[in-house]
Amino acid sequence: MKHFIDHCCEKCFNSKENPCEQFVECCLDGPLCHESEECKEARQQIVDRYSHSPLFREQ
Amino acid sequence: MYERHILICAGTGCISSGALEVKETLVDELEKHGLTNKVRIIMSGCHGFCEKGPIFIVYPEDVFYCGVQPEDVKEIVEEYLVKGNMVERLLYHDPVNDETHVSHDQIMFYHKQLRQALRNCGVIDPENIDEYIIRGGYKGLKNALKMEPVEVVNEVKSSGLRGRGGAGFPTGMKWQFANSSKGDKKYVVCNADEGDPGAFMDRSLLEGDPHAVLEGMCIAGRAIGADEGYIYVRSEYPLAIKRLRTAIGQAEEYGMLGENVLGLGFNFKIKIKEGAGAFVCGEETALLASIEGKRGVPRHRPPFPAVEGLWGKPTCINNVETLANVPLILRHGAEKFASIGTEGSKGTKVFALTGKVNNTGLVEVPMGVTIREVVFDIGGGIREGKKFKAAQIGGPSGGCIPEEHLDLPIDFDSLTTAGAMMGSGGLVVVDEDTCMVDMARYFLSFTKKESCGQCAPCRLGTTQMYNILEDITEGRGKPEDLKLLEELAWAIKKGSMCGLGQTAPNPVLTTLRYFRHEYEAHVYEKRCPALACKALLQYQIDPDKCIGCQRCKKECPVEAISGEKKEAHEINQDLCIKCGACYEVCPKKVRAVQVLSEGLPESIEEKEACEEGSKCQS
Repeated sequence: MKHFIDHCCEKCFNSKENPCEQFVECCLDGPLCHESEECKEARQQIVDRYSHSPLFREQ
Repeated sequence: MYERHILICAGTGCISSGALEVKETLVDELEKHGLTNKVRIIMSGCHGFCEKGPIFIVYPEDVFYCGVQPEDVKEIVEEYLVKGNMVERLLYHDPVNDETHVSHDQIMFYHKQLRQALRNCGVIDPENIDEYIIRGGYKGLKNALKMEPVEVVNEVKSSGLRGRGGAGFPTGMKWQFANSSKGDKKYVVCNADEGDPGAFMDRSLLEGDPHAVLEGMCIAGRAIGADEGYIYVRSEYPLAIKRLRTAIGQAEEYGMLGENVLGLGFNFKIKIKEGAGAFVCGEETALLASIEGKRGVPRHRPPFPAVEGLWGKPTCINNVETLANVPLILRHGAEKFASIGTEGSKGTKVFALTGKVNNTGLVEVPMGVTIREVVFDIGGGIREGKKFKAAQIGGPSGGCIPEEHLDLPIDFDSLTTAGAMMGSGGLVVVDEDTCMVDMARYFLSFTKKESCGQCAPCRLGTTQMYNILEDITEGRGKPEDLKLLEELAWAIKKGSMCGLGQTAPNPVLTTLRYFRHEYEAHVYEKRCPALACKALLQYQIDPDKCIGCQRCKKECPVEAISGEKKEAHEINQDLCIKCGACYEVCPKKVRAVQVLSEGLPESIEEKEACEEGSKCQS
């Protein structure tokens, strides 16, 4: 999973044709439709890769 | 994971100062030192401090290097990234107190700023939607899609957001009109036709955070029931257009634009329309005509675009900065947005701070800060220790605020009361060397050229005003001109069809109001107190100071200067074209060439006669 749009595993169904309602929240706090530490870690890696300072994520 | 992130400003200003070459050199240097996988390079949007560009920030330490050129990169990599030694010479040195600052939040330029609309500019890679999402992006849209359209309208109304493009009309009210208008099709239009000389707020926002504008447009679409939006952006902004296209593509891929947005049954697409750069196309009805492929000229209102807009359909038109604020309101709530600013002006405002201040660039401040704080704290005061004369706010539609109003709070209503206007956010600071009559003439030369010519008050009136101002600055001014200027100004304001003509006289009216003595010096004494109006100047050589170095004689393009080597020189006033070349080359230690504006004796007699009422028609 390199980008948020990539599927973390086969359980993710989000696509342009069949968009997931929870996509925005799922990017940062997901996965929300299933439980998986690996899938959670995959998302966190994207956040960590781009967060250049502690305040980066805070708004 | 990366050990360090290096943000290089890739706004238009820093790119023109060499940011892309800095990046190329950095890529090579990182490779040479085996750091390619440890250091991430981010080409960010505008940091605001354009005059210090290219800006180069190293995170997580937040070391702010400025004015970095390709030849400096090797030293930064070897000394700082590898050995941990600060490269002092590239840090920011405060011109006021001569202190050196390491991180950007220590710099006065950033200290009093509150970057809300610019929250992501200079922070994220504008071409990476993932970074926008990490910063909270598209949460506002999600919230809006869970609300009823009228609830979205009410939220924006409660926030107190007013249009940032010029007039400051309440955004929520505009959305309410468009929401309640009946139509089988509605449009949202983003007005990115930024035309004020020296203004680059919208350009920087589009270049640095395009998704914020797209998200704002989607929310507006939800609020009024539109399924299509246009961004009208001038073709002189190629980087902004490129980044917008990239952002639209990403938003479509991520399901934030297109059919069934976020699976919530909302459809919205956005198209870009490139404008050819006419100033009048910033006026909403002219802009709509231009999108429709017609000549970009305004039309009478009503009907307003919210009722009858693009292709006759209800249309909501908002400025770039206005739209960039909208996602914050829907994400954090109206109350939080309204907690910043003054009673009648909520939130922040972005200004392009330029002119005779030490720190120029893009600044964002809470509504209600004073002009003094912007000029002296953020701007670092006047260059070369000179005296503040005025702040020209609002571009060619705005007005000049003098020193006695330095403590005026910056908000829509205070500025209007003082005769100026917020405008889109141009803020030009002028010092004692600027002639206010000449400044008014400059702005009139702009509006005169940009008038579409459709209505007579604007087309003829601005030309007449310009001709009078030109006469005054060239020594042909008549006593009755001042009264005539005022009469014309009010006639143009009242009689013009659109905002261009209605506001074009503002620079003249405010300079007449606050700097009338300068007009009088030009008209009655044929004298320019600021020594700026060429026709009213005389260049002379002080024979007691002249050392006969002959530099002025060699430089004079019309051979008006005579004198032997090591003997005092003289300027033939009949030949002199007042180009100032002699003044420029005269050694600073000698200062033999002097520029004067002492006026003409007959002009003073004329003034006295006028005061007695014997000759003056006014």
